[in-house]
Amino acid sequence: MTARDRILSAIRATLGPGKPPAQIAAEAAALLDDPDAARPRLAAPGLPDAFAQKAAALGTSIDRIGSMAEVPRAMARYLDAHGLPPRFAMQPAPELAALDWSGLAPHPGTAPDEPAALGLALHGIAESGSLVIHSGPDNPILMAFLPLHHVVLLREATLLPHLEDYAARLSAEAAPRNAILITGPSGTTDIEGSYVRGAHGPGFLHVILIAEPG
Amino acid sequence: MTAPFKAPFKNRARAALADPVLKIAIDRTTGNAERKRAAALAAFPEFETARARGRAIKDHVIAHLGHYLELFERNATARGAQVHWAADDAEARAIVTRICLAADAKLVTRAKSMLGEEIGLPHALADAGIERVETDLAEHIIQLAGEAPSHIIWPAMHRTREQVAELFKAGHQPPPAAEDPATMVQSARRVLREKFLSADIGISGANFLVADTGATCTVTNEGNAELTTTPPRIHIVTAGIEKLVPSTAHAFALLRLLVRSATGGEMTQYTTFHAGPRRPGDADGPEEMHIVLVDNGRSRMLADEFREMLRCIRCGACMNHCVVYRQIGGHAYGGTYPGPMGAVLTPVLDGLAASRDLPNACTMNGRCAEVCPVGIPLPTLLRAWRRRSWREGLEPGSLRAGIGIWAQVARRPRLYRLATRIGLPLMRLFGKGGWIARLPLAGGWTDHRDLPRPAARSFMDQYRAQQKARK
Repeated sequence: MTARDRILSAIRATLGPGKPPAQIAAEAAALLDDPDAARPRLAAPGLPDAFAQKAAALGTSIDRIGSMAEVPRAMARYLDAHGLPPRFAMQPAPELAALDWSGLAPHPGTAPDEPAALGLALHGIAESGSLVIHSGPDNPILMAFLPLHHVVLLREATLLPHLEDYAARLSAEAAPRNAILITGPSGTTDIEGSYVRGAHGPGFLHVILIAEPG
Repeated sequence: MTAPFKAPFKNRARAALADPVLKIAIDRTTGNAERKRAAALAAFPEFETARARGRAIKDHVIAHLGHYLELFERNATARGAQVHWAADDAEARAIVTRICLAADAKLVTRAKSMLGEEIGLPHALADAGIERVETDLAEHIIQLAGEAPSHIIWPAMHRTREQVAELFKAGHQPPPAAEDPATMVQSARRVLREKFLSADIGISGANFLVADTGATCTVTNEGNAELTTTPPRIHIVTAGIEKLVPSTAHAFALLRLLVRSATGGEMTQYTTFHAGPRRPGDADGPEEMHIVLVDNGRSRMLADEFREMLRCIRCGACMNHCVVYRQIGGHAYGGTYPGPMGAVLTPVLDGLAASRDLPNACTMNGRCAEVCPVGIPLPTLLRAWRRRSWREGLEPGSLRAGIGIWAQVARRPRLYRLATRIGLPLMRLFGKGGWIARLPLAGGWTDHRDLPRPAARSFMDQYRAQQKARK
């Protein structure tokens, strides 16, 4: 007998033959009825304010702008404020490449000690101040982890109230290889419980929140 | 891991109690954890409802475990992952080692996983001649120290910053420039970054196995899991079969409980779902993903009175709130898992004969059950182990004889009252104020804490006197 057979038959011997899958699925879904009873309220009325409040509490800095066209200026502002060079890694997404980057030097690919990178979030989650990114041809995962400064564009129109709202989309779409919720800059409390930023991932997380879609 | 205990539990506990630096280290971390959890719960009035739901989700999965295992296997396979099954720790080690050797791996990075510790993966990799680099900062510290984790969330919590500085000075090239945590974290970031990018294989655990998507989920605050699993050619996941959840939404419901109970945060900085290897066109990611589903005693727990322990989501709240853990720390327990949850699990993993002291080293104050986010009745389970130990004749003769004598006396009310009338005044002779600091034959108790000084007269004597006065 294989290990698989041994494990499954030991479980069957204890639990019996089991219910029809449809019935199990219905029971599982019922466990999540009335989600509001078991999740936190939003921090503020309106998704952008709720998101911004949560994200700021986690040490994420926020810049709220009106449109995509303002992104290069917002990026330049951030790099300047942190004394960073105009060269930065940029996610190879068409909507970013389409912007006017004169005066700045975005490049594809991320060096092991990349100072800063700019990427695009698929969603923001208001409940927790989390950003959602998915792996794919135009989104290398390492770009969100190698740089010291991670700058993320987030459109207000893509904000979702709660984690469940994102989960519903994840099972509806074909789930990507990596789906990542980023909630604040990388940190650790492993030495005497004292909080230090930038353990392995970015020490700085900056969100550029865009009011109008593209 | 069925590591032989180095010394009897009592000796380990005594050594831990005599270590003042250890006590400072434990207090700093568990005190912080307790305060932060309390604050997180105060800000989440829905916690009790969420907890009842979390418990119901775990019970639902446990009741249909076979169904969910097969569903997960089917969906993970459809995403291109290779699913392996291991009935015990030896099989799990063999599977992981075989994958590493077949890939001719020289360097393996590992993101913290208690299951990996449970199955003895660190030793197995060393035995196979493979360099293993722990990437979680705390695991990095204890790897430099050659130690095992002392806590399931903060594995290096027994080390003070001064001790960490010594380890980094010897283990980092060049050594960190200063001893403050920020400088030391920077040093580890620099040293480990090279390893992340040159590893052949990355090994992680899983906080959840999502049945309907076939994804495994890791949560970290450092970002080391993604740096461990993305650059290497192969990603291996080792996970216990109790980690299943029906869907991503169920994982989130449990995540809300897990993070608040563990660190007092609301979400970990990085919550990542891994569904199979790199897809065609993907910018990065591993070419192969292997998932090892490990039983190692879990299907046995399902069949006996320890089934509720399969609900455990490994948050560590029980140990942070345990009066015993907070005195002796994690290493004294001698198993992979310390604290109350460890005292329930270690007899499953290492056998009751080798670990019967653990269920006995509990005051039954019930705090662990109060804070458990999935309502595991830990004191009840510990009592079940005590009962079994008695039934199987594992308790020493002196204890059996002592309890036998007590039972004889307790079943004879006159004799019992006589004994208390003689005993109470004698005990009171040793007391100062409300407490007894030293008592002959009771050094095991009074060496490390005081005993309450008993009342001058027994309850029965006081009751009678009161009844008489009323008439």
